[in-house]
This record gives sequence, structure tokens and C-alpha cells, in this order.
Amino acid sequence: MLNSYLTQIRMNLRLTLRNRMALFFSYIFTLVFFGVAAINGGGGNGLQLINIVLGLGVLGSGLFGVGMRAVQDREQNILRRFKVAPLGPGPILVSGLATVLALQLPNLAFMVLMAHRFLGAPLPPRPFSLLIFVCLGLLAFASIGAIIAALANSMQEGILLTQLFYFPMLFLSGITFPITGFPMWLQTVAQFIPMTYFTTGLQPILRGRETLLDNAVSAGALALTTVVGTFLAVKLFRWEKEEKLRPAAKLWLLAVLGPFLLLGAWQMYAKTNIAKTKVLARDVARNRSSLIRDARLFLGDGTVIDQGSVLIKDGKIAEIYTGPAPDAKALRADAIEAAGKTLLPGLIDVRVHLSLLGLPITDPEAYQNPDANFDRELAAYLFSGVTAVKSIGDQPDMVLKHQATNATGEKLGAELFAGAGTDDRTYDAALAAAEGMQAFIAGRTDLLDRSLVRQVIPRDWFAQAKQSLNSPAFQTARQSARPVNLDVSKQSLAAAYRSGATLVTGTDSGLPMTVHGPGVHRELQLWVEAGVPPAAALQGATYNAARLLHADQRIGLIRKGYEASLLLVDGNPLQDISATERISTVFFKGERISRADIFEQK
Amino acid sequence: MQTVIHVAGLHKAYGDFEAVRGIDFDVSEGEVFGLLGPNGAGKTTTVEILEGLRPRTQGDVKVLGFDPEISKRDLKNHIGVCLQATNLPDKLRVHEALDWFAAFYSQRADRNKLLQRLQLWEKRNDFYSKLSGGQKQRVALALALVNDPHLVFLDEPTTGLDPQVRLEIHTLIEELKATRRTVLLTTHYIEEAERLCDRVAIIDAGKIVALGSPRELQERVFGQSRIEVVTVHPMLGDLPSIEAVAKHSVSDDFKTLVVHSTKPARTLPDLIRWIDQKGFELEDIHLKRPTLEDVFIELTGKKLRD
Repeated sequence: MLNSYLTQIRMNLRLTLRNRMALFFSYIFTLVFFGVAAINGGGGNGLQLINIVLGLGVLGSGLFGVGMRAVQDREQNILRRFKVAPLGPGPILVSGLATVLALQLPNLAFMVLMAHRFLGAPLPPRPFSLLIFVCLGLLAFASIGAIIAALANSMQEGILLTQLFYFPMLFLSGITFPITGFPMWLQTVAQFIPMTYFTTGLQPILRGRETLLDNAVSAGALALTTVVGTFLAVKLFRWEKEEKLRPAAKLWLLAVLGPFLLLGAWQMYAKTNIAKTKVLARDVARNRSSLIRDARLFLGDGTVIDQGSVLIKDGKIAEIYTGPAPDAKALRADAIEAAGKTLLPGLIDVRVHLSLLGLPITDPEAYQNPDANFDRELAAYLFSGVTAVKSIGDQPDMVLKHQATNATGEKLGAELFAGAGTDDRTYDAALAAAEGMQAFIAGRTDLLDRSLVRQVIPRDWFAQAKQSLNSPAFQTARQSARPVNLDVSKQSLAAAYRSGATLVTGTDSGLPMTVHGPGVHRELQLWVEAGVPPAAALQGATYNAARLLHADQRIGLIRKGYEASLLLVDGNPLQDISATERISTVFFKGERISRADIFEQK
Repeated sequence: MQTVIHVAGLHKAYGDFEAVRGIDFDVSEGEVFGLLGPNGAGKTTTVEILEGLRPRTQGDVKVLGFDPEISKRDLKNHIGVCLQATNLPDKLRVHEALDWFAAFYSQRADRNKLLQRLQLWEKRNDFYSKLSGGQKQRVALALALVNDPHLVFLDEPTTGLDPQVRLEIHTLIEELKATRRTVLLTTHYIEEAERLCDRVAIIDAGKIVALGSPRELQERVFGQSRIEVVTVHPMLGDLPSIEAVAKHSVSDDFKTLVVHSTKPARTLPDLIRWIDQKGFELEDIHLKRPTLEDVFIELTGKKLRD
């Protein structure tokens, strides 16, 4: 019995190795794909590439491996010969599955080694989890292929049906490109597709972030599909092309997909896997390598490098080069030309109130979804190049919740700190808030017209705020507000600076007319107006603020090993502080933020 | 003598259509048993039931002591089958095919001897796709013998082959017979059945219409030989009463006379004497035993290869 399985596997292997087409699709194709992607690939250390190669390899060779062979052998009357031998469809199918493993595992392992050797991809930190998961994927797709073969009446029908499965799995599973940009309904549809679960398991296992056990549900569904698929393929097996199948039998296909139909239905409610796809897409974006070339570097602690380059890798600052920039291609990084620009550590605002809108809005709807407000406000900070904020006085449960979604990367927004106010060693002038309060009391809306401010305010809120500030609704609030004097605040700041106090930027954003996002930029300008040199001001918005947050071991400086949360601006803010508002690019934990899309997160 | 195949009251229906409607026969050890019948007669259905490939609707079947429906695996392990129109993968070498299939069975024949016996030795390293039709059929036969079976089913083993190859395969079947193997042969070729089969069952419309040795069948149907006389000029005048003549007929142009006789040795001299007396110029005269084909046509009203 065992002998017939082994012979079957051995002969399958031998015949496949003699078949040029099969060889091409199993080996040459993946190798060529690997080569082209590696030459072309640019940013990244090959991990993402190997992720795609593994995913496509498993999907393609699984789906097309066992099934098409069976249909072809049936069409050519080869299976007829096996029909009269004392072996059932079981050994034929099971050894078909084993053959797929035997053919593909060495190939995929070879790809992993190639990526390691030539692209610097780390070896999989969890090889056992990866091996089992890849096996389960191959088997599951192979058994889906086997079922398709059992149901198809001809080669053409088989190819058509297989491709009907292949293409949605290819494009909707997130293996070829992230699906996080798709409309929500399509993302939900993707949750019914087996490959989606393979994709959301493969990437974190490959990166060593998760184990097989973390993906037990996906692994279980793949295993179940293998068992059900193989069982049904045995039951529906046809040796001869003359044997026809009842049309109703095609519904058995649904049984194979059953585990995933259940998972998809569950995901319609739970949406955990949709969240996971976002996290994974974020991971990929954060792991690209970039080289910011020939910028002026403001390191955060006051040091300036007139011409320098920064290499970002795996979300961290990997290297800082002074003088002319090295070649980005040689470093496998996307080149970002930054001549004439200044690179700063991401700005930090140590005092914000996320529960307050910072705008005179009367529409009750604006207050009904605080979750959405938090998300939008944190996005607005990132949009403005502020990569960390500290929330003061907001509800702890709200803060914790948004800290969690931001930390995983499911939601894109500035890093959220929380806690009590400033400590007594630092001075935080909050000039922007004072200016805002003055404008509020005076009924002036000109602060909202500033370019960066207009960009972060929702369109309908802008018009509403302009109108309602002078309406009776806000009359009492404006009259009862404690008057502030910006000039006095400026003088206090100047005195504090002269006396050597540590300055940090805290804007009190959320207070009237100080909207979330660009507050730090205005704060810096007011500081410079008050007499603080730009370099000292910028240090207050970066290194000093990071120290206040006790995070200066990882943010607030451009330094090797620090998080790559950076702000690239046009011009030189050391000469003209308002240059910080001319944002060229924002990096957050290594990801080059697409600022245009940041308010469109689903 | 041991019974190798026992079939009693076999029925097989596909939905409303009854393909086999009550078939009984036994095949003994060492016998070459032929199944003759036109297409759609139920031959293949019957054979496939015996081989364990198809369930039956009704009836008793024992093959090598196994019920083919219950002990499928055991049965297949002990029989050899050569189906019509089977193929092997293109890139499979001949000797690999034999080794591959041999692995499925609990007992194996000596593959080298098999290759030599089937004149495939020279071709043993060739790919299947490079073989001629006759060579492919010999490979199919070799595969049927790879488990050294005591019972071999040959389903039209020589169809579509040239006469030379057909003769070779006939020789092989005779060799099988010589080693006391049982063979169940279905065929379209009458000569094949006449030459090879110990007994023949003629199947038509799902039933056996005649069963026996080729000679028995011929005699049972006619019990007489055929004398054919051809003359240059028309034979006019009545045939006198001649001993042992059962019936006679004359062709439309009166030049051919067919006489059926139970004792041709007696009939023939009388017939020639009559022709001499009449002065007909004899062109040809011959004595013919009835062929199985004649039997077949007589019994079924059909030609074998309709």
C-alpha cells in the first residue's frame, strides 16, 4: 500500500521533471519573476518580494498542480489504465498532493535563500511555523484544484474554472497589492476568499511577528479545506471522460469553500481580518527602504549638517551620511532627492485636547462620533508633520483605544501619548493657544485662513466656523472667556529662554481657534517672533519634547537606530521658521506618508 | 476443473435502459472464453462488472472466488486487464511503465522476461509517445500481465492493428493458454474467436443467444455443410433427390447452386454425377463448413461489425 503511494509520488515527480511546460511554470517562471522583481524592486530588503513569491507560488502551483494533471490524464485515457489496477482514487489524489509539496517546497526554500543571499532578506525567524503554513496553503489550494478537476468535464472547462478561482484570489487577497484602498464592500468580499487568509498569515509569520498558533483559525480553515476537498475529490473522481457528472454535483464546490464562507460571514461581523490586512499593508509600507539625499539635516539637538543623507530601513534610521549622497540603488532604497530641503525629526506637540474640536461648531452631529474625531485629528497631526502628540485631559478609555489602533498601524495618525501636564523643569508657553483665544474673544476668524489650517479642517466645518463664531450661540462663551495677552506670554517666553529654561512646544490645540494638526508650526513662528532663535525653537519641538515624553531613546532626534519619523520641508527653517509649513514629505515609522490620502482612511 | 468465473442471472440497468438482461455462464480454469456480439450488445458492461469496475443490478457473480462488487481491491490484484483505448503519459519509458504498475500488485511477473516475450526489449528505454500503435498495444498487454495473473481480460486486444501484429498477439494468447491461464476475450474478429477460443458466448441485446465451442455452435445452428457449385452455363432442370441434402438454392442467373448437406461425403459424388449427366461445364466446386460469422448472422440477424 505504502509502496503504491511512494511509486506514485516518484513517478509523478519524474514525469513532471520531464514536462517542459510544468517545469517552466513551477520553476523558471518563479525564478524569472524573482529576478525581474529583484532588479526592479528598489526599496525594501526583499522580504516583501519573497512574500509575493511565496504567495504566488503556493497559489499557482497549488491550484494548477493536481487538478489539471488529473483532467489531462482523464482526457487522454490515461486514468482508464489506472482504473483497472488495484488502487483507488485516494492514492492517486493523495500522492498528487504530496507531489505538489515535494516539487514546491524545495523551490520556495530556494527562493527564500536567494532573497537572503542577494537581497539581504532575513532568514525566516519562525521556519517551522512558515513551513507548516506554506504546506497547508499548498495542500488547500491543491485540493481546491482537485475538486475543480473532478467537476470539470473537459480541459477547457477545467482551465476556465481554475482561472475563475485564480484571478480573484490573485487580486483580492492582498498578495499582489494591498486591498486596503478598496471600497469597504470589496474588502468584505475578500474575506470570503481562501487566499486572503493565507496572505494575512504568511506575511507576519515570514517576518517573525506571529506564529502558526496566532493564525490557528486560518490554518484550521486551510486544513479543513484540504480534508473536505480531498474527500470530495475522491468521491467525485472520474476515471473516464465518458462518465458525466450531474450538474447539481457542481454545488459540492461550495462544500470545499465552506470553511471560508463561514469565516467570511464571521468577518462581516467581526472585521478583525480586515483590520489585520490594514496592519499588514502598513507593515509593508513601513519596511520599504528610502534614501533621503543631499538635504540639510537638523538633528534635533541643535546640530546641523549642511549636506547629508539619511537611509531609512525597516522603519528605523539605518545610516546617516555626511557629504555627497551615496547611490540609492546600491543600497536597495527608493531615492528621495532633497537638495534645497531641510530634514527634521518629526515635530512633537506635548499638549493637545483631542475631545475638543478647536472650532466654533454648532452642528450637534460634529460631536456625535468622538472616535472619528480622534482619528481625524491624529491624522491631521501627521498630515502636518507632527508625528507625536500628548493628550491632556481626554477620557482615558478613548485614549487607550486610539493608542491601540495607532500602535498596530490599523489607523494612521500621530503617535499618541497621554498623562499629566508638563513637569517643572520645562517651560511650555502655549503661545498658539493664547493667540487663538484672543481671536476667539475678538470674533476674528483670520487664523483659519492660514494655508495648513485650511487643509486640515473638513470643508463644511470651515464655512460653519466662519459663520457661527459671531453668532449668539458663542456670545456667552466669548464674553465669559478669560482674556489673555499674547504679548505678555511672548515676554515670559523670552525671559524663560534667556534664563536657560528647557523649552517645549505644547499648543493646547482643541482650545478655541487652535485646530488640531498645524498648531506646532504656528507655535514655532510665535516663538521666533518672541525672540527665540529658530534652532532653539526647533529643538523645543523635537528633542526637548521627546525628553518630556520620556521617549528620547527612540524619537526626537535624527540618529542611527531611532524611529524614522521625520519631516522634510522646502527651504531652511533655521533662517525662515515659516519654512516648516512648506511640507515636502512626512515619514512615520519608516513609511512615506501619502498625505493626500490620510483623511480618506476607511 | 475449477470454475474461475461464475455468472448467474446477471442484470444491469442504467435507469430505464436494461443493458444486460439475465446472463449465465461459467468459465473454467485454463479456458479461453470469447464474448462475441455487436456494439451495444452488453459485452463491455458484462466484462466491466466482472472486472469490478461497475456495480450490477441483480444476479450472482464470482470471479476467482471474489464477489467483484465487494472485494474489488482483491479481485483487481489478481486479474490482468487489457482495456481498449488506454494511454500512458507521453514521457514515460516502457520499462518504467511496467515497474510503475507492478508496484500496485502483491505478486509480480519477471518484467524483463515479459519485455522479451512481447518483443519490447529493444524499446524498453523509449518514451511511450515514440512507440507505434502495435508497440503501444503490446505495452498494454504487458501491463495486463505484470502481476502474473491467472485470469486475464482482453477487451478487443487486436482491434485496429495490422495483421502481422495481430498474429503476434494471437501467438501470445496461445502461450497464455499453454500455461493454463484463463482468458476472457471480447472481440469483433470471428477468426480470432474461432482460432483462439475454447468456448464462445454470443451476446445480443443483453442476452446470450448461443454458447459453446465454435464447432458446437456451428453444428447446433446448421448441423450441415455447404457445397457450392459454379458452372459456366446456367444449370437448368430440377435437382434430383440426392442423399442427405437438407435444402438447396440456385442463384438468379442459375449459375450457382448451393446445397446444404448433413453428409457431404455422400452428397458430393452424387452431385458431380448429376452435373456430368447434364453436361454442365463445371467452373468451381467447393465444400464449406459454416463459419461463426454465419452462425452469428443466423442468430442475431446482424453483422458483427455493424
